[in-house]
Amino acid sequence: MFIEYLPGETLLHRLDVRTKMLGFLGLIIISFLFQDPKYQLLIVSVTGLLAFWIKIPLQKIRGMLIPLIPIIISIILITGFTFAPGRFDYVSSQRILFYALPGERLGATVGGFMMGSTFIFRLFSMMIASSVLILTTSMDDFTQFFQKMKMPVEVSMMLTTAIRFIPTLDKKRRQILEAQRARGTKFNEKGIIGSIRSYIPIMVPLFINSIMMANSLSMAMLNRGYGLTRTWTSMREIVFAPRDYWVMSFIVLLITLSFFVRFRLQLGVL
Amino acid sequence: METLENEIRQVAICLKNLSYRYPNTVEPSLKNISLDVEKGKFILIMGSTGAGKTTLSLCLNGLIPQLLEGKLTGGVRVAGKDVGKTAVQSLSKVLGLVLQDPETQIIGRRVEEDTSFGPRNFLVPLEEIKQRVNQTLEKVRLQGYNHRLSEELSGGEKQRLAIAGVLVMEPEILVLDEPTSELDPAGRSEIYATLADLRRKKDLTIILVEHSSEELIYKADEVVVLNQGELVWRGVPSELFRNLPLLRQWGIKPLPVSQIGWYFYEKGWITLAEIPLDIPSAEGLLRKLLPKYGHWQGHLQGQAQRQMQVPVPPDQGFGSGQSKDGLFRHELHLSKKAIAVQLKDLNYQYNSDQTALRGINLMIEAGEFVALIGRNGAGKTTLAKHFNGLLKPTSGEVIIEGMNTLKYDTSDLSKIVGYVFQNPDHQIFSATVEKELEFGLKNAGFKGKEIKERVEQVLWYTGLERYRSLHPFSLGKGERQMIAVASILVLKPKVLIIDEPTTGSDWTGVQTMMALICKLHTAGTTIIMISHDMDLVAQYAKRVIVLKEGGILLDGTPKRVFSNEQILLDSAIVPPQLCRLSFQLEDILGPEPFIEASEFTAMFESREQSGCL
Repeated sequence: MFIEYLPGETLLHRLDVRTKMLGFLGLIIISFLFQDPKYQLLIVSVTGLLAFWIKIPLQKIRGMLIPLIPIIISIILITGFTFAPGRFDYVSSQRILFYALPGERLGATVGGFMMGSTFIFRLFSMMIASSVLILTTSMDDFTQFFQKMKMPVEVSMMLTTAIRFIPTLDKKRRQILEAQRARGTKFNEKGIIGSIRSYIPIMVPLFINSIMMANSLSMAMLNRGYGLTRTWTSMREIVFAPRDYWVMSFIVLLITLSFFVRFRLQLGVL
Repeated sequence: METLENEIRQVAICLKNLSYRYPNTVEPSLKNISLDVEKGKFILIMGSTGAGKTTLSLCLNGLIPQLLEGKLTGGVRVAGKDVGKTAVQSLSKVLGLVLQDPETQIIGRRVEEDTSFGPRNFLVPLEEIKQRVNQTLEKVRLQGYNHRLSEELSGGEKQRLAIAGVLVMEPEILVLDEPTSELDPAGRSEIYATLADLRRKKDLTIILVEHSSEELIYKADEVVVLNQGELVWRGVPSELFRNLPLLRQWGIKPLPVSQIGWYFYEKGWITLAEIPLDIPSAEGLLRKLLPKYGHWQGHLQGQAQRQMQVPVPPDQGFGSGQSKDGLFRHELHLSKKAIAVQLKDLNYQYNSDQTALRGINLMIEAGEFVALIGRNGAGKTTLAKHFNGLLKPTSGEVIIEGMNTLKYDTSDLSKIVGYVFQNPDHQIFSATVEKELEFGLKNAGFKGKEIKERVEQVLWYTGLERYRSLHPFSLGKGERQMIAVASILVLKPKVLIIDEPTTGSDWTGVQTMMALICKLHTAGTTIIMISHDMDLVAQYAKRVIVLKEGGILLDGTPKRVFSNEQILLDSAIVPPQLCRLSFQLEDILGPEPFIEASEFTAMFESREQSGCL
């Protein structure tokens, strides 16, 4: 299942959703400014501390990371071998460690491996940061955010309805699966066509049921006045608190500092 | 001027020569309906499936013709507004419509979010919304549920939330289209209690479309009967329910006690108005008539004899003593009959560590007709899913026709155990009825000629022949239910499990389905039926198993099980009406209850016979 709101009372929970979104954006910018894995490691540590602060469920993190291991390894290998020495500014990065093929072909560069690590660290900080964002922000806050960003009401309406119906559809899927298994459907047919064919008895009723449900949902929505006006009453007006201004200034300052380090001091490149 | 206004205010709903035909159909669904409903009344709309009840309720709030097209003639005025000219959304302020399936009427993830949906669309200020939401939740007995997730509510709670969703807009009229058809008895009584509350608190006009009648007969002011799109009867409920021939004609289920009364009426012993509609009046009537016409002395002797033959221990029937007794009984028959289902110390735990079944020992012989009853969550379906291997025991064994379910896959067991689920729409996926029936046979590895023969046979057996090349979804719910059964029957299962075979069917549909099940039972199929309908269980099952909290509470013949009224009530089961009547007459009838009307009337027939002799 997807990650859900984790109730809590930390500063991160209490911050305005817009502040958090700005922070997330800032993190993306800073992370893409630097190529050096050392800087990326710093960013990962900071996001890691944030995650630790909100008492992130470790089980979930582990569950997310384990399937990524093959991707991590392949990213490092690919960048290691494919980044030609000419793409790096520093001599130390241009150094070739060894050749994969005889005749000095497909050389593994130091810079390439470092670039690979940067990609990985970037992936990690994004993952951790987005988890922190989702875990500390309620669904309500997100719809508020969409509304504040002047997105049409329909967007947040669609979003909440979709989330509301995930468990319902999942239940339907299980019921259909059981009904078809009871009629002797086998789900282990061989070959691609075989396995597609064996899912037709699941997919067709699922589609038909979804359409029927959508039909009565549309009736229920009309019954309750949906579409009479183009807008609706906001359930909760979000307002900036003093802490939001503090945090926002801090984020802006941090971004500026990063630009200074990267472009004035020319640090953090390979 | 003033009188005119008064008149308009008095009439909540006014239908004039209303006719409607769905697009792409020949036959109109509503024909020339004229009906005035006074403000503050509670009207019951009854009739068989396809009579036009749902169509009528959709006409009332303008979904017909504004969302569904088709040909509409005549006029509909609701609270003085012309429905044809007012948007559905604006009408929702005067008329709230609650539909059958609670699941698709809930829009919000949380209770509060859902209830506030309506007023938010009308741009009601936030403070007022909060106040209204709390008031409305209290009205439907959901106070304090504000922050609960809607998906975690029970069926009854969900439907009450759906009612709250329309009530929060403060309509003058509330229309409910079979709001209880998807609910269990507990959920149903919650809805009726809520409606009774609403009636008391506010002069709300209520229109209720419903199949069942026992609970409603004294609550409704009036009944309107629809039959094939026409309004055929209108009047006081008690008058309708005393007229049994009319009920049969329109496919409405009569009250069991009225069947006894009708017998007396036909004999000329009582007038039509004296036909009882509830237990106390039936009791009084029987006590009055028995000395006069009955042969109850002789009957008592018969009762005594019967008691000698089959001793019924008064307070036994559950616990270890009973199961040993039951086991003994089965061992006696072991040599004669094969065992269809055998459970040894069955325990089952869901992944969430929640124990669903505990220590179940059970033996069902081939050819038995067993009913599994119990409140929602008692473990009925969980138990039944063990019979065809959909669930495997956490510990213990399940042996079906000699096959241990741990060693076989559901697809192998499906040739022996047929399982018909509650909702036929979860399995129908073919373009014609015929192909739908072939599917199971192909899975089982049958070829050409054999498939054809079997499909032919089952089509004839279930009466689906005329629909063979039609698309299943073009048929009504009753027929789709029959297709679901037929698609299992082609496999010629030795054991047939039917989960709630009659939910949402009308009286005629129930009888057709039960006649089919009986026919199968007579042919030797072992039937295991899960049902909430106690009248059906009492009438058809030969053995009743009551489950409670994952264990077997009672196991025995319907008469024996239903005589434990107190134990059943603890498990939220109300014995059938006639059983309850015989408890009232215990001093005359003895401890073993009667479960059929004919048993009561037999007390009077013996007299006549002896008179003739």
